[in-house]
Amino acid sequence: MNWRIVRVLVAKDLTLFFRNRYFALITGLAVFAYAGIYFAMPASVDEKLAIGLYAPQLPPVLEELQQEEGLTIEQAESEEALKDAVIEGRLEAGIILSAEAIQKLLGGQKARIELYFPSDAPDEFKEAIITLVRELAYLQSGQVLTVEVSEQVLGRDMLGNQIPPRDRMLPLFAVFIIMAETLGLASLISEEVEGRTVTALMVTPVNVRGFFAAKGVSGVGLAFLQAALLMAVTGGLNQQPVILLLALLLGACLATGVGFLMAALGKDLMSVMAWGIPVMLILSVPAFGVLLPGTVSDWIKVIPSYYLSDTVHLSANFGLGWDDVWQNLLILLGFNAVIISLGIAALRRKLQ
Amino acid sequence: MSVRRVGILLGKEFSRGPRDFIFIFAIVAPLFISLVMTLVFGELFAEEPGLGILDRASSRVSDLAMQSPSVDGRRFDSVDSLKDAVESGTVDMGVVLPAGIDEMLRRGERTEVTAYVWGESLARNRTILTTVVDDIMREVAGHEAPVEIVTATLGDTESIPWNDRVLPLVVLMAVIFGGSMVPATSLVDERQKRTLTALVVTPTTLEDVFLAKGLLGVIISVVMGVLILAINQAFGTQPLMLLTVLAMGAVLAAEFGILLGTRMKDITTLFATVKAIGIFLYAPAIVYLFPQVPRWVGRIFPTYYIVQPVVEISQQGGRWPDIALELSILAGLITLLLVFLILNARRLKQQEA
Repeated sequence: MNWRIVRVLVAKDLTLFFRNRYFALITGLAVFAYAGIYFAMPASVDEKLAIGLYAPQLPPVLEELQQEEGLTIEQAESEEALKDAVIEGRLEAGIILSAEAIQKLLGGQKARIELYFPSDAPDEFKEAIITLVRELAYLQSGQVLTVEVSEQVLGRDMLGNQIPPRDRMLPLFAVFIIMAETLGLASLISEEVEGRTVTALMVTPVNVRGFFAAKGVSGVGLAFLQAALLMAVTGGLNQQPVILLLALLLGACLATGVGFLMAALGKDLMSVMAWGIPVMLILSVPAFGVLLPGTVSDWIKVIPSYYLSDTVHLSANFGLGWDDVWQNLLILLGFNAVIISLGIAALRRKLQ
Repeated sequence: MSVRRVGILLGKEFSRGPRDFIFIFAIVAPLFISLVMTLVFGELFAEEPGLGILDRASSRVSDLAMQSPSVDGRRFDSVDSLKDAVESGTVDMGVVLPAGIDEMLRRGERTEVTAYVWGESLARNRTILTTVVDDIMREVAGHEAPVEIVTATLGDTESIPWNDRVLPLVVLMAVIFGGSMVPATSLVDERQKRTLTALVVTPTTLEDVFLAKGLLGVIISVVMGVLILAINQAFGTQPLMLLTVLAMGAVLAAEFGILLGTRMKDITTLFATVKAIGIFLYAPAIVYLFPQVPRWVGRIFPTYYIVQPVVEISQQGGRWPDIALELSILAGLITLLLVFLILNARRLKQQEA
């Protein structure tokens, strides 16, 4: 294979791509649109229940409750201030504990407690807060539950250090960008096949290998650069940059292999573009599993892009290193070898 | 313009359509997206934390947990499956109930319960789950609540279920995708294969072709819009009004599709454009997803005037006066786009000539 010719072909593809200013602008715009969505989303997770309390005197159990990790109890100066905070949405619920109610609770009598919710609070949330207040009353009245719960946290305990939804979305964005280039590459090849420029190329010193190498480098380069740019702009490369860049590179190779396959299977540019969308959607499914943990089962592991989105998620969001992701990278590499080989074989057959 | 020729062209589009991927995609995609969106957003923003229960003795504790409105309860039949569900985040907490727990609670005997907690579960969810489990056990133990809780709601904002919030996005996707992409791709394809040039040298005019392709888009768009509303049981009480709005939205989408079809030089450019501007087309529906975003933001985008009347009629029982302003603006947009199309057709005629 003549690498000088490959270089010339890559330069030709990139020049054609960027010469079409409109196409180049649209591609850049898409990366920045994803980045824009990322920055528009909240950067932190508010994982505590914000509850307001107005009580002339704080019962001992409530003082203990303030230590509870899932609750923020804010004391209001007056009933009106408490209600205003609930209406304005600063508090998710407000509790009014009158002096009489506190006395009754302390004396073991049945007390009346007023609870205020914003009108858009869902019923299940209201029920949860009612249960919480009832539990407080049980504790205050001294009714002991003879149950000992031994808690065991499975997986890394992220309490106080939760991953914001925008960071969960990052693997999804990266996979989308990379897989969108599948369409780009497939259409590039399909255009050459339809326009018969590939036949013209084959009578020059360019051979089939050189053609694939050039298209592969162009496809991998474009997909990788866009995804890496998105990750860099959003701060996704702050942890484990080498692993992440390698994962994105392998993802770009996967997109290239799939692009070869689609270009070989599609009968014309239109069918390549049209069938590319469902393929892109299928390859994006594993990234939804990162966004919505627990919604996908183990079958998702048969989709090669699972190993890309999982690695991006683990390394970018948890900072996990080689020990934890090497298997993912190896499997991705294996998938790449198979898919690229199949793609090249199918496309070679089509070209011949 | 000849009605007969438009009819023949439309018939050809329909007979060729089932072999065209975009045609099939315009029908299948909204149905698929409707299902996925409902599932995805329903799960993503579900308020209730998940509680898994392993109960081999059919205790009352697990029955009450399944009935609790505060948690999303699920039963498991082995410790391994429960732990797997917790580890993957399917449930936030998994509780293993010992045999005879009901009796032990009633007798006030010391009982040990194992709870597995998902590491990524939010603190608020952990608090709610622990409280709900304790409360259920107290009920089984026969504890008497020492309080009477009186609740009241403040303010006038409305709680909008996620399924209702997602509906505008799904309807918009059905109307816009079918209405615009089918005529756009068909037109670009004809231009690329030069069949459009061949067609306009016959007595068929460019207007006939535009109208036939536009009608195809309108029909697909309306049918899909109706289907999505019917599937989501959001047809409301004013079907005729809803059909009018969907038809107007479909006309706008088809006009936009034809405009794209005449301006884009090839399929690649068309898809790239749709990829880039898609966010602007669906932006009003995204505003509906987040009630915190001021409603005026949605008004900036033309597709707002399709989706707002649909929401008004299907979800709020709106009548003609409630949607008159939006429909007038929608009619204005349709006229404006028609003017663009006429100008564009002249330009294209010169090119084809």
